[in-house]
Amino acid sequence: MKAQALSLDKMGRTHREMSLANEETSLEVNDLNLFYEGGKQALYDINLTIPKQRVTAFIGPSGCGKSTLLRCFNRMNDLVDGCQINGEIKLDGHNIYDRVVDVASLRRRIGMVFQKPNPFPKSIYENVAYGLRIQGINKARVLDEVVEKSLRQAALWDEVKDRLHDSALGMSGGQQQRLVIARTIAVEPEVLLLDEPASALDPISTLKIEELINELKSKYTIVIVTHNMQQAARVSDYTAFLYMGKLIEYDTTDTLFTNPSKKQTEDYITGRYG
Amino acid sequence: MKNTAPTSPVVPAARSLHLERLSGWRKAKDSLANLVISAGGMGVLMAILLIFFYLFYEIMPLFKSAHIQPQSSYELSAVDSSDSLFLAMEEQAEVALMLNRAGQAQFFNAATGASVHQAQLPLTAAVTSWALNSEQQPLQALGMANGQVLLAQPKYRISYPDDQRVITPSIEYPFGEQPLVIADAPLTKVAVRDTEEQLLIVAVAKGKLTGRLFNKEEDFLSEELTLEEQPFTIPEVDIVPQWLLLGPDQRWLYVVSQDGAYRVINIRDEAVAASGRLLERGQLTQVRFLLGGISLLAADNRGEISQWFMVREDGKLPRLEKIRAFKASDSAIEQLVVEHRRKGFITINQQQQLDVFYTTSGRQLLSEPVIGAAISDIAVAPRANRVLSRDTNGQFSYWQLENEHPEVSWSVLWQKVWYESYQEPDYIWQSSASNNDFEPKYSFTPLAFGTLKAAFYAMLLATPLAIGGAIYTAYFMTPAVRRKVKPLIELMEALPTVILGFLAGLWLAPFFERNLPGVFAIFMLFPLGILLFGYLWSQLPSRIRLAVPDGWHAILLIPVVIAITWACIASSGLLELWFFHGDMRAWLTHDLGISFDQRNAMVVGVAMGFAVVPTIFSITEDAVFSVPKSLSYGSLALGATPWQTLVGVVIPTASPGIFSALMIGMGRAVGETMIVLMATGNTPIMDANIFEGMRTLAANIAVEIGETEVDSSHFRVLFLAAFVLFMFTFVVNTIAEIVRQRLRKKYGSL
Repeated sequence: MKAQALSLDKMGRTHREMSLANEETSLEVNDLNLFYEGGKQALYDINLTIPKQRVTAFIGPSGCGKSTLLRCFNRMNDLVDGCQINGEIKLDGHNIYDRVVDVASLRRRIGMVFQKPNPFPKSIYENVAYGLRIQGINKARVLDEVVEKSLRQAALWDEVKDRLHDSALGMSGGQQQRLVIARTIAVEPEVLLLDEPASALDPISTLKIEELINELKSKYTIVIVTHNMQQAARVSDYTAFLYMGKLIEYDTTDTLFTNPSKKQTEDYITGRYG
Repeated sequence: MKNTAPTSPVVPAARSLHLERLSGWRKAKDSLANLVISAGGMGVLMAILLIFFYLFYEIMPLFKSAHIQPQSSYELSAVDSSDSLFLAMEEQAEVALMLNRAGQAQFFNAATGASVHQAQLPLTAAVTSWALNSEQQPLQALGMANGQVLLAQPKYRISYPDDQRVITPSIEYPFGEQPLVIADAPLTKVAVRDTEEQLLIVAVAKGKLTGRLFNKEEDFLSEELTLEEQPFTIPEVDIVPQWLLLGPDQRWLYVVSQDGAYRVINIRDEAVAASGRLLERGQLTQVRFLLGGISLLAADNRGEISQWFMVREDGKLPRLEKIRAFKASDSAIEQLVVEHRRKGFITINQQQQLDVFYTTSGRQLLSEPVIGAAISDIAVAPRANRVLSRDTNGQFSYWQLENEHPEVSWSVLWQKVWYESYQEPDYIWQSSASNNDFEPKYSFTPLAFGTLKAAFYAMLLATPLAIGGAIYTAYFMTPAVRRKVKPLIELMEALPTVILGFLAGLWLAPFFERNLPGVFAIFMLFPLGILLFGYLWSQLPSRIRLAVPDGWHAILLIPVVIAITWACIASSGLLELWFFHGDMRAWLTHDLGISFDQRNAMVVGVAMGFAVVPTIFSITEDAVFSVPKSLSYGSLALGATPWQTLVGVVIPTASPGIFSALMIGMGRAVGETMIVLMATGNTPIMDANIFEGMRTLAANIAVEIGETEVDSSHFRVLFLAAFVLFMFTFVVNTIAEIVRQRLRKKYGSL
């Protein structure tokens, strides 16, 4: 909470001023319905806006559709067999589900970090450089620069600078996850999707990831899915509560946790179910 | 067992008892499973070891050296043996024959010396020279002081009165008891060669070569033989003949002098065909034919025995070539006998050293000092299992010789060997022939070459198809199609290879032969056509392109593939007419100089490639499919295209599996038998030409094991081939496993 307050102070805002109406919109979801194979509906009429350079958290019980919704933002659901999506998601006013959209370049703009750290079986350096290499950037000078910058941003540089060319698989889980974040921000996306990034990590690594999220939100729009309500409260500016595929409530984090307007939200945050 | 459940102290006594009983049962199950699994694993290891040891046990005798053991020793009392001309044993090594200069033929028990039969040859004058037709047909020519030659031959009749083998020897005179007149002076040297049609006798009288050639005519009814002389002349030679040797085809007469000079006379052309020296310094001590009468063995007084035969090169005069030489010591060779059924020989040198050699393999199998007086005569039994010798004191010794497999050596198996009647050393596999005096050629090199050639062409076809197909199936194909495609391809593996071989040999080979240009067009146009289709597809408006869901694109290629195949085969005749003057086979043979077999490496490549594809496909598909989705998602989420993800992340991660797939496919191709047996023509040639056949190690074993005598050298050589195959697979798999482990270490631990 303290870190958030500080950063808010730096931005020159107060809690009272913070409201969705005052924010610049990064992503806009309109009437989104999602069906998995066999017509099973996973998301119902989702409408929300993700503010720019803020941390938005999706919370809700398991199976509520929060990860599914997150994966809609960079069209990872396209890879799920038989998944069908109606409605639209706009990034800077353009529907990302339009047929002319190149999925690869969309995903470059909307990076994603998964629940389980998934470094490639390559060296630490090559993991970070991978996103640039696939764009055809192979100049050693450029790569060196970006790798160092990204690792510094991910607060990993000091730990790995002496073993950049060792396999990434030899790192600890927390380091691996920060490496994955470094890899993702190396291609300078506009939006960072974090799908329960700390759920597989120990408390110290979790803390480091949370600190990192606070650092990164000055540059990136961050959407985080989390199981952990304390984490949502600690790191996010806005929180959306999903239940059974429906968006129940979406508000500033403070409001949602201290003064929820829906009974279901209150039940969830007070631990009646989940 | 470490994984027994920890017993908690808070559990009440009754429950803990129950748990204990349960854990006892669990323990029992655990140890039972442990036992069964260990036994299974050990069983597999044992089976492999047993195969290994059995193969080893079968091939070991090939590399053993010979042994000789004295059996008995005796003196012959019935007849004077001091001036013997000829000493020999019959097939069973039971009865021996000693013929002396007085014309006495003494048959005696080879083991005891007891007399069996005695005969006196009807000589008309003193014997001045003696010659043997050949070891197998021991017709003797006795040249006499009056210029006449008596021809006599020992015969052995075997009867079984009271189930006992009784050998009755006799001396026969196939050309009558009346000697033939060769010259009017003492015959100092004589040589004889008898064939189905002709009898040729050459002799030296008054220092000059002379001879008579007779056509044999047999009366139908009386079976009486009449000789009709065919006049011919022998050219003069400028050396003093010490040895006269007549080749089995009555064509070559080898005249050799004591100091090593030789002249080869062509009897038919009545001219000297070749001349030269068998050795530069020293003296020759013995000159004999090796079995078959093609090679000359020349022993000298410095302990060397050299093998020579006539080599005819195209457009050149034939010459006598030194093929190989043997040397056991520096001591002069005194005695030299050749084996009756193999290309081996035995020598005794001045220091009473007995040496056993084998020409083809270049091996010295035995070197053993003989105790006693100097040996004056030596004979080897037809089966080369007994040796009979006589020393200067008249003492006969009967030996048992163990020399089962002298034919095989490292150089025979893997190096070029100069075989009899060949122009140069070569790698040859030819294990049998129609005649008995043939030199077996056991070179594994052409077989190993054929094996690798077949595997190479099969892998050439199978690797891109199987790996490409597997990657597509695992990575791009929609699960609905994948679920059908994968089992279907794996089902191909269940197809008996004998059916594949049958189809390849009887349908595919003639089909390829008829439609050669079309088949080549398929190989070239297939990848091109598919690439072209892909390009055209990408140029289509996105409306049409996006109508096909991801993963279904492969279906679009089916009509393309069918169309290309049909077009190529249909236009085969036209292509042949346009580019190859109407006949591609003739064009290949005449214009390119490439010989064409109907059953060739291309047919095998396609048929065996077809057999190998499911193996490689299945393992590669599993490897690619089991790359964690999180990795490819991670790559895709970074904005990589599916192709970039495949090349950058999926294939490197799956590489250990892909590598194993290739190695297992290779192992399959190397060991495959039925397809190569039926579709290669089984010609053991060494030629990388895709249009020629080959013989593989596995097919060779299958072809020949049925017709070889158990425990013969040939039989054991086939086991050696199996051993080589076994070792090859073993080594390849070991290397594959090491490489795979290293790759796994690099890319694994996911």
